[in-house]
Amino acid sequence: MAAFAAYTIIGLSLGGIFSLAALGIVLIYRTTGVLNFAHGAMGMFSTFIAWQVFYGWSHPFWPGWLSTLLAVIAGLVFAAAMGLFLEFAVFRWVRTREPVVKAVITIGVLLALQSAASLIWKNNQYHLPIYLAPQTATITISDVGVPVGRVGAVSWMLGSLVAAVAGILITPFINFDTTSLTLLIIDALAAALIGGLVSLPLTVLGGFILGLLETYPTIWIQSLGFPRLVALLVILAVLVVRNPRGFAVAAK
Amino acid sequence: MTSRLIFRVLMALVAFAVLARIPVGFDVGFKFDAGLAVIWAFALLSLVLLTGYVGQISLCQATFAGIGAYTAGMMSATFHVDYIVAVAAGVAAAFVLGLLVGLPALRLHGITLAIVTLGIALVFDRYVFQDHAFEWLTGGTGGWRVGQTSMFGLQMDSSKHLMGAYVVLLALFCVVALLMVNLHESGAGRRFRAIRDSELAAATMGVNLTRYKLLAFGMSAAIAGMGGAFYPLVAGSVSPQPFWLFTSLQFAAIAVLMGVRYVPAAALGGAFMAFVPDVLTRYGHGTLFGRPYEISYDWFQIAVGVLLIVQLITLPDGVWGDLRQRVLHMRSAVGGLGGRKVKVA
Repeated sequence: MAAFAAYTIIGLSLGGIFSLAALGIVLIYRTTGVLNFAHGAMGMFSTFIAWQVFYGWSHPFWPGWLSTLLAVIAGLVFAAAMGLFLEFAVFRWVRTREPVVKAVITIGVLLALQSAASLIWKNNQYHLPIYLAPQTATITISDVGVPVGRVGAVSWMLGSLVAAVAGILITPFINFDTTSLTLLIIDALAAALIGGLVSLPLTVLGGFILGLLETYPTIWIQSLGFPRLVALLVILAVLVVRNPRGFAVAAK
Repeated sequence: MTSRLIFRVLMALVAFAVLARIPVGFDVGFKFDAGLAVIWAFALLSLVLLTGYVGQISLCQATFAGIGAYTAGMMSATFHVDYIVAVAAGVAAAFVLGLLVGLPALRLHGITLAIVTLGIALVFDRYVFQDHAFEWLTGGTGGWRVGQTSMFGLQMDSSKHLMGAYVVLLALFCVVALLMVNLHESGAGRRFRAIRDSELAAATMGVNLTRYKLLAFGMSAAIAGMGGAFYPLVAGSVSPQPFWLFTSLQFAAIAVLMGVRYVPAAALGGAFMAFVPDVLTRYGHGTLFGRPYEISYDWFQIAVGVLLIVQLITLPDGVWGDLRQRVLHMRSAVGGLGGRKVKVA
């Protein structure tokens, strides 16, 4: 029973992170019509920036909280700058194109970011200490609560920020590398689909449900890939039950 | 239109004759790249059918190629069948998986289909190709080794007869590419294009959406699987790495980059995908202004991503589509050689 409770807590924490990442996707999709496949990659890159500041550049005499604070601030500032850059350099020029074309462009962003990260930080496994998590959580909530205008720049900046927060938050749970954080996109998309890519409350709920669904099977099955199967089945079930035409309405 | 058909057959024959000779003088590494180029070209060709003709998005083409590779590897390593039988089995397995993936596609399109196929690619990448439960298919962590085998009754050794495998692969590619070009104007091709332009309109005009969408997915997966099925023969073994999720994403990116509606663009993309990274890593190191530098595979993938973004903003029809349009433009401007009107789309 204690194990079950522990798994529930892990599942809910994972679910919270999934919902966060999914919120960023829904935010960008609703305001700009871009389904951002690079969301996980963007969060990954900002997370690695934070990691770099924390381990690479901070001075050993600094107190722990200062390094942590600087790392988180650096990650978030970078995330905001990257979001703005993508909006002005890329997505501003394709505003009138079909949603599918915009989605394919984000695949280009994903490939470029992922390889740039693996070039800089190699394919090693990294780990961040757990006390990074609670301090960032406060920043998170105020971010998500900001009412978002219809301005692409703002939503790209916020979306990128949310992705960075999700990336930084998940790192205490897993040994992360460049690909595993990029692939967070699948779980986030699954959660976003539960909300129909539109509804924020349903997206959050979907994230938590998905987190629990992906955690409980690992009580019995020791398999790295099995939770992914759960995510896929959730996506499929939701899509078959819901009316897919609803999604077309959301893409203005 | 028989004269056009003859022209196309001749073009395919010339292309085959030229391409089959090119790798002869080069070392084993480049011969392997040549084989790999055709394998990737098959996967890109499968996207020309699925995305270019029928307008369906798929981010799991590497999964189809991987199923072809693993099935062929299993048939060859466990049952010791003639390799061409193993290829047929790989194509059949990929076709069946394509039909299964096509089932959700009946209700979905556009972005949601992309999400689902991405999920499928991830499940195969992380679960099926790497889990103990599927060792009968994947041959465990080491994968299948295909050393000695035979094709058409002739002895084949993957290390010694790389050119033999390449020629068979290339011949098959030319045949499939020719069929694909002809499919474009056939009855089925017209129905495919009607689905691409508007599913609703196509259904109104009496196109059986269920049948043709499933057929498109099955055929596309079979084409990708046919290339993949040769992978164990060319590389000597199979592993999950070449067929992981990022290969699927690269297929989508390079197919769009080269021009997703044109068959020759698939061959161009395949060569691009196989040769450019190898040439970069082989010769791309040394010293520049006294500082040593090294170009790794990651630089290639960064370039693909950036090129894709730039191309989609500036040349929406892809590299091949743009080149073709310019050539046609020049011809109609000159007015000499037939002076055909520029036909876009």
